[in-house]
Amino acid sequence: MADTLEVIEGCRLPVLRKNQENEDEWPLAEILSVKEVASRKLYYVHYIDFNKRLDEWVTPDRLDLKKLQLPKKEAKTPTKNGLPGSRPSSPERDVRKSLDLSLQTPTAPPRGKTVPTPKRKAESVSLTTQVPPVTSVPSLPGSTEVTQASVYPSARDSNAFTPKSNSRDDHDQLSVTTNGTSRRLIPSQPGRKRKANCVGTDEDSQDSSDGIPSAPRMTGSLVSDRSHDDIITRMKNIDCIELGRHRLKPWYFSPYPQELTALPILYLCEFCLKYLKSLKCLQRHLTKCNLRHPPGNEIYRKGTISFFEIDGRKNKTYSQNLCLLAKCFLDHKTLYYDTDPFLFYVMTEYDSKGFHIVGYFSKEKESTEDYNVACILTLPPYQRRGYGKLLIEFSYELSKVEGKTGTPEKPLSDLGLLSYRSYWSQTILEILMDLKSDNGERPQITINEISEITSVKKEDVISTLQYLNLINYYKGQYILTLSEDIVEGHERAMHKRHLRIDPKCLHFTPKDWSKRGKW
Amino acid sequence: MSKLSFRARALDAAKPLPVYRNRDLPDLGDCVSINRTVPQMPTGMEKEEESEHHLQRAISAQQVFREKKENMVIPVPEAESNVTYYDRLYKGEFRIPKQLIHIQPLSLDNEQPDYDMDSEDETLLNRINRKMELKPIQFETMVDRLEKASTNQIVSFQEAKLLLNEDDYLLKSVYDYWVRKRKNCRGPSLIPQVKQEKRDGSTNNDPYVAFRRRTEKMQTRKNRKNDEASYEKMLKLRREFSRTITILEMIKRREKSKRELLHLTLEVVEKRYQLGDFGGEILNEVTVPRTEKSICNTPVSLPNGNHHKIERKVKPQHHISVKDELHFDFVRPKKKYPKKVKLDTFAQPRTDRQSAINKCDIKQYDFHSSGEEDYPQVQSPLSEPDEETDPDGHFAFRRKAECQYQAPLEEQHCSVLWHHPELAGLEALHHRHCLTVLSVPPRCVGLARRRVGRGGRVILDRASSEHDHFLKQLELDASVSGASSRSSDITDTSRFTSASRALPGRAGSLQDILSNIKACRWKLFRPQPKAPKDNEHESETSKAGPAVNAGLSAATVTLLNTSKNGISGCITEQQFQNHQQQLVQMQKQQLAQLQQTQPSERPAQPRHPSTQVRGPSGPTSKTLDSASAQFAASAVVSSPQTSREGKLHAASVNGVLHTSGTSKPFHTTSVTLSNGQVQLLRTVPSSVGVSGGSSQLLPTLYTASHQSLPGPGTTHLSGVTVVSPVHLPLGVRNSAPSPSALKLATVATTLDRVAKVTPSSAIGSLSRETNEPERLALNGISETTVAMEVT
Repeated sequence: MADTLEVIEGCRLPVLRKNQENEDEWPLAEILSVKEVASRKLYYVHYIDFNKRLDEWVTPDRLDLKKLQLPKKEAKTPTKNGLPGSRPSSPERDVRKSLDLSLQTPTAPPRGKTVPTPKRKAESVSLTTQVPPVTSVPSLPGSTEVTQASVYPSARDSNAFTPKSNSRDDHDQLSVTTNGTSRRLIPSQPGRKRKANCVGTDEDSQDSSDGIPSAPRMTGSLVSDRSHDDIITRMKNIDCIELGRHRLKPWYFSPYPQELTALPILYLCEFCLKYLKSLKCLQRHLTKCNLRHPPGNEIYRKGTISFFEIDGRKNKTYSQNLCLLAKCFLDHKTLYYDTDPFLFYVMTEYDSKGFHIVGYFSKEKESTEDYNVACILTLPPYQRRGYGKLLIEFSYELSKVEGKTGTPEKPLSDLGLLSYRSYWSQTILEILMDLKSDNGERPQITINEISEITSVKKEDVISTLQYLNLINYYKGQYILTLSEDIVEGHERAMHKRHLRIDPKCLHFTPKDWSKRGKW
Repeated sequence: MSKLSFRARALDAAKPLPVYRNRDLPDLGDCVSINRTVPQMPTGMEKEEESEHHLQRAISAQQVFREKKENMVIPVPEAESNVTYYDRLYKGEFRIPKQLIHIQPLSLDNEQPDYDMDSEDETLLNRINRKMELKPIQFETMVDRLEKASTNQIVSFQEAKLLLNEDDYLLKSVYDYWVRKRKNCRGPSLIPQVKQEKRDGSTNNDPYVAFRRRTEKMQTRKNRKNDEASYEKMLKLRREFSRTITILEMIKRREKSKRELLHLTLEVVEKRYQLGDFGGEILNEVTVPRTEKSICNTPVSLPNGNHHKIERKVKPQHHISVKDELHFDFVRPKKKYPKKVKLDTFAQPRTDRQSAINKCDIKQYDFHSSGEEDYPQVQSPLSEPDEETDPDGHFAFRRKAECQYQAPLEEQHCSVLWHHPELAGLEALHHRHCLTVLSVPPRCVGLARRRVGRGGRVILDRASSEHDHFLKQLELDASVSGASSRSSDITDTSRFTSASRALPGRAGSLQDILSNIKACRWKLFRPQPKAPKDNEHESETSKAGPAVNAGLSAATVTLLNTSKNGISGCITEQQFQNHQQQLVQMQKQQLAQLQQTQPSERPAQPRHPSTQVRGPSGPTSKTLDSASAQFAASAVVSSPQTSREGKLHAASVNGVLHTSGTSKPFHTTSVTLSNGQVQLLRTVPSSVGVSGGSSQLLPTLYTASHQSLPGPGTTHLSGVTVVSPVHLPLGVRNSAPSPSALKLATVATTLDRVAKVTPSSAIGSLSRETNEPERLALNGISETTVAMEVT
């Protein structure tokens, strides 16, 4: 009986994964795609309330089929009707999307209300009976999601796993795909909450006004509304990237040439970032590529750390290669438009082989919204070693030279938020702690002064002060209070933070791009 | 501080915040409750991601521990840094330069092939290398070129040969290999490339398409389309602005002229005062020649040219080919017209001068382009342009300095000839020569043909026939009574030339003709003024007179209509509309009247003119538009002027009644008229259709004017002999009582008075007087509905 139940896209069920302590845990996950490799099924799962970067292909034995929740909405487009494995490009998808929107939006609210968030016990679906009609379908943002965050199953009995599930594989006509590159439609797109959210955004109005369907805005580098998000972009398409001595596991989709996505390893030239399909090709390429540093002007060097400035218009190939690589690790980055309006600041670390890329940030030549950073990334091998903060610091140094305050483009990623908060906290605390009281008076400072000194935008200063809980209302006025643990924490952190930008090593003259007609 | 009975003020970024250590403020805890009055700032993250488990955990860990805990960081997919072959792969060392690296953007690997050999290629290379040497870089270059040359379809072998210029064997093997490999290739190219956008927008949502070009949109502001349409709009705007400039310049000139006129008038009045010429005698004495001179220079005189062309053009048509057809078919001429233009022997010089003509036209129109008033023509400055733009080239009439030329007058338009359908079948003579009656002295001159000669003189070419004797004896009142009872009033200075050419023959007996004439079934060519209003009720004429009147006025109205259409450029829309309505109304009334009178005793005579005139004019009004568009575009013509001139012209039409032997069918005439106009306007032949309407337009289309007169006149009147110039000083001088025309006319009169007296002044004044009633009627017809109702 259990055999009749098949795990299809949109299903939710606990999936085994190891946590950081290498312990087993069974977070609830959604099946995004199913493929069959060597007559063995693989499921692409997204762990609910985990970042997409942890999504992965799992074998059936990691699925807890006893607690399977079928998608409430059956496929509007039946997957059985022989839809091609890999979807043809856009037009139908767009139509589908709007369909989804129109159909889902009205129904979503009642569903969200009537369906109680399944508790762990209640949610386990009996495999012998039919699926209860009110299985939670995660299509409503907020309600289900938030509650589920609290109930995500952190630990499970190992016996929850039913070995039966394996036996069903052969009969399953539904979702066989022959190789890893072809992807399936997820019919009703449960869990694609963003779509419901994006109704009536200016994207839509733009559509109607200029007839070009759904072209995103042309400024900025990040997408906040994910109306262009589809099942393809929700899934990682590259297994592994070899860059220099590093092997990187991409976190997100990146539009590398499609024929390269099937490769087990995508090879990148460490210096020009060209993508190559094989080691042999890379070898051949290296005989021709004599770059040993990013193809731009070095505007900062201290120790082994250097920054190179690359003009997205003048050096398109490199900029695009860099963007493709960065997209692997930046969920919200958009590569929709060319790189012309951006400058890329690549941070490198020098060794005898050359200047190795550590991270980068991009920056609009002209920002209408005070952005001093568009995308920012420390490559995974260099993460959590202070390079991110160094990049951020460098971006503010540039702003200082420009005489402006700046802020990173939104939305921030989780890591971005943490890094920025950390940087802002340290920067602001540094200033506050260094404030000397002159002639016995209480030292004081305005938020604007902090902003001017640091080039951190005022809003970010306030949010940081708030986050650190420094602002207090005392005797009719706002004051800043530094608690002991804050001070201690800061001192500890600063002690560990040895990578700093030395403004004296910066050789940077800001250009007035507005006078150049084009970027 | 008491506890919070108030709201905390908003945080002011400009206000200094004292910095305390917590230990300095033991009582801080009391205030904690309002700490949160500072609004929570957004994190800048997406909502749903903000709630992600690992982030929340990390945040809370940070809050708690004030530093990162190893196990509380956000987990990320692993990365390894243990590529063992790295050193082998990246060979050599790179020494760090002392100075910051600066690169020349263009020096980057330009020549290197983008294609990178793979291991499969290597085996091929090894195989080839057994026979001949092929370096990897060579191979890569070859493939690179092949790849880049084949965008949509694979290059052929022949193309590859040209492309690569390599040894045949090598080429063949590499090419074959490449073709095979490319076919098996999963991507679009052997050089992997990021998918490019397609221009049709079909790839707008393809996730694999990246780095789309930013369209112009980026450069313009939001919501402003920078498309072709707006570009065209800008062009149009520019055109219109430049036209506005032209118009303003014209207006400027016009106003200058007006001022000049004013000064002159003032001077005249002063002079008259000094002379004591209070009765205007001296002025009268002086007026005529002066007027003639002035008119001679002005566009008003130019219709002669058109008349002239009429003849020129009608003739070939008429005599050679299609005359009979033409008599019956009023629509026909229009169709024929384009051909005629092409056939015209004068077409060539004309086209050569077209641009010049056009400019000149504009100037002329400009000069008269007063919107609100119509001053009579002042001394015309136009002689120069006229000469320049003479379409008759070699035969052009050129003025001599110091020489006074007399003005051709509107009456000459009388040569709009009527065609008597009953006579259509008669031989050629009848088409050219008609029974002509002089008004003063009232007598019949026999068969004559009227045309316009040099300087706008009206010439009657007489033909001698055996019936002359009888015709001369013909009682005028008998012959013309139907047409007008006022013949005795009529003065006409027309002189006639006796035709030397014998008439080829006559149809019908003399008696028949005479009786026909008497019965007014034949028309006479007789300069005849229109009946004044007060005469219109006369019993004798009431039958025929009104009918004719009506018919004519109908024609006039339609003509006016068309002309209005054509020249409406400078009339305000409302004016125009009003006028149109009036005209339409008038026309209706006339038609109704006409139908009433038709059953009356002498239906035949009055009807013919009316029908005939109307015939051509009806259809023309449609076709006029094409021409009028251009016309309006190219020239600014004041409507009052046009209409007035139209009136004049109509008057003259009225004045001329063809005798039964009508030589010129109306439609042909009109065709030529329009021809003239077309020429002037430089419009396409298709605008020929204007025909009927053009009779009014003519006055406004001066260019060809009198200079062109001699040429055609002589050419076509092969059989005609003596041409003696005749002045018909009519036209402008007549003051019309109709409200709108009155002003103009008075001005005209005053102007005229300035002029000197010409030899023919006496006659001129005579004709002037006689023509005044006519004018009255016409003005009534064309300008006021009231007058028409009376009719």
